[in-house]
Amino acid sequence: MFTFILRRLAVVIPTFIGITILAFALIHLIPGDPVLVMMGERNLDPVFYKAAMHRLGLDQPLYMQYWHYLVHAVHGDLGQSISTQEPVLSEFLKLFPATLELSICAIIFATIVGLAAGIIAATRRGTVVDHTVMGAALTGYSMPIFWWALMLVIFFSVYLGWTPVSGRLDLEFEVAPVTGLMLVDTLLAKDFDAFKSAVMHLILPAIVLGTIPMAVIARMTRSSMLEVLREDYIRTARAKGLSRTRIVLVHALRNALMPVVTVIGLQVGTLLAGAVLTETIFSWPGIGKWLIDSISRRDYPVVQGGILLVATMIILVNLLVDLLYGVINPRIRHAR
Amino acid sequence: MTEPTLTYPSPLKEFWQSFRTNKGATVALIYFALLVFAAVFAPLVAPHAPAEQYRDALLTPPAWAHDGSWRFILGTDEIGRDIFSRLLHGARLSLMIGSVSVLLSLLPGVALGLIAAFYPNAIGSFIMRLMDIMLALPSLLLAIAIVAVLGPGLGNTVLAIAVVGLPSYVRLARASAMTELNKDYVIASRLAGAGKLRLMFNTVLPNCMAPLIVQATLGFSSAILDAAALGFLGLGAPPPLPEWGTMLANARDYIQSAWWVVTMPGLAILITVLALNLMGDGLRDALDPKLKRLA
Repeated sequence: MFTFILRRLAVVIPTFIGITILAFALIHLIPGDPVLVMMGERNLDPVFYKAAMHRLGLDQPLYMQYWHYLVHAVHGDLGQSISTQEPVLSEFLKLFPATLELSICAIIFATIVGLAAGIIAATRRGTVVDHTVMGAALTGYSMPIFWWALMLVIFFSVYLGWTPVSGRLDLEFEVAPVTGLMLVDTLLAKDFDAFKSAVMHLILPAIVLGTIPMAVIARMTRSSMLEVLREDYIRTARAKGLSRTRIVLVHALRNALMPVVTVIGLQVGTLLAGAVLTETIFSWPGIGKWLIDSISRRDYPVVQGGILLVATMIILVNLLVDLLYGVINPRIRHAR
Repeated sequence: MTEPTLTYPSPLKEFWQSFRTNKGATVALIYFALLVFAAVFAPLVAPHAPAEQYRDALLTPPAWAHDGSWRFILGTDEIGRDIFSRLLHGARLSLMIGSVSVLLSLLPGVALGLIAAFYPNAIGSFIMRLMDIMLALPSLLLAIAIVAVLGPGLGNTVLAIAVVGLPSYVRLARASAMTELNKDYVIASRLAGAGKLRLMFNTVLPNCMAPLIVQATLGFSSAILDAAALGFLGLGAPPPLPEWGTMLANARDYIQSAWWVVTMPGLAILITVLALNLMGDGLRDALDPKLKRLA
C-alpha cells in the first residue's frame, strides 16, 4: 500500500509543478505590457511604472520570478485582487462553500438518478424502456447546460413560478454564516423558512449542474451492470431461487459499482467547469462566477490564483479517488 | 470461377453495412449531411441576410405561434433579425470552429503520440507528463483560461479549443501505436529496412486510425459545445456574429417575454451535438468489431 501511495504521489507532484508553471505563464502570455494592461492607463508616470514593475517583481529574471511565485504560492500567498485588494486565497475560501454546496447537491442528484436509470435500463435491456432511458442519457450528455438552465428557468420559474431565478436565499432572511453551506447554516439557526428558501434556490442549479454527470453515471451503470449480469454467480443466485430484486440490487449492483465509483470521482472536473456556467446564470456567489467576473474585470491575480486553486483541488480529489480505488480493489494496488 | 463464399466485401462496404444497422447513427448522419449542405449554401438557403434588421417586426414569434408569420419561420430577435437565417449562418461558424479546431489538435496530437510511442523513454515520458498536466484542468476551464489571456474572439476560441483537445489525441495515438509496434508486420517492415518516419506514418499510423476517427467525431461535438459556452460567456465569437452560443448570451434578457429567442439557438446546439455523439457511437461500433454489441 505504501509503495502504491508513493507511486501515485510521484505522478502528482510533477503535475502540480506543471500547473504552477502554467498559472505563472498565464500572466506573461497576456499580450502587451502586464503593468499597462493591469493599470489600464496609457500615459503612466515612469516612476510609478518602475515602482509597479518592482512591486510585481517583473524587473527580475524569469526563473527568479517563477521561484518567488512558487514559494509564495506554496505558502498560500497568491497575491491580491486588483479590484477588492483582498488576498486571492481568502476570497477563494469565502466563496468556495457556495460552490461546494452546489456541487455536492448536484452529484447526489446525479448519482441517485443516474444509478436508478442505469439499473432500470440494464434489467430491461433491448426494450422500449432501455432505449428511452439511454436516449435521454445521450441527450443529457450532449446538453449545452447553459441553455438547459435557461429552459428550466423559463418553465419552472417564469411559467410555473415555483422556484426563484437567482441567488442562494430570499432577501428577507438573514442567516449567520457558520459553515458557509446555506442548508447547514439555516438548520443551525433553526430557521426552517430560510431552509426552505435555500432548498428552493438550490434545486434548479443542482439539476443543471448534475445533468452531464447523471448521463455519464447512467451509461456507465448500465454497461457495468450488463457485464456483471452475465457472470456465473448471477446464474447461481438465480438457480438458488433468490428474488429478482435481491439479485439485481445486492448481488449484481455491488459488483457493478466499482467502475461507477471511479466515474463519479472523475466528475469533479466536470462539476467545476459546469459550475462556471451554472453560477453565472443563477447568480450563484461561488468560485465559478468569481472567475468569470474577474476575467471581465481583467483582475489577473484572481484569474491566475483561481485557476491554480481549482486545478490543485481537482488533482487532489483525483488522487483521493485513485487511493480509495486502490483500497477497495487490490488488483489496482498491485498492478505496475 | 470464384466461390461466392470466398469473396469478401470491400472494407468500405463492410463498414457501411455495419454502420447502417445503427438507426440512430444513420439518422444523425443524414441530419449532419443536411446541416453541412445548409451551412455551405447558407446565403442561398437562408430566407434573409443574417444581419438584416426588420424594424417593423421586432420579436416576432415563430410561424406556428398565435401571431407569428411565415415570413420568419422561427421568429425574429430583439432587433428584428430572422432567427432561422442566423442559425443557418451560425452553422457555418460552428462547423468551421469544429473542423478547424479538430484538425489543429488531431495533426499535432497524432505526431506527438507517435513520437511518444517510438521514443518511449526521454521524449515520450516528457510528452506524456505534459499531457497529464493539461488534462488536470477540465477542458472548458482551460479554454476559458486561454481565452482570458489571449482575449476573446473567434480565432482565439478555435485556438483554445484545439489546445484543450490535444491530450486525448496524443494519448490515443500513443496507446494504439504501442500495441501495433510489437506486431509481426511492423517488425518485418523494420527488418526490411524501413526508416523511422516510414514506420511511423506508413506502417503503423493507418492501423491506428479507427479510434482516432471516433475521437475526432466526439472531439468535434465537444468543440461545438465549448465554443458555444465561450460565446455564451462573452469570451467567444463577438456579436453581431451569429454564433449559436453568442446568440444565447444576448437572449437571456428575453426569458420572460420571448421564449423563442432563447430556445432556438440552444436547440440547434443540442441537436447538432447529439447527432455527432450518435455518429461517434455508430462509428465506434462499425470500425471496432471488438467493441461491437458489447454494451
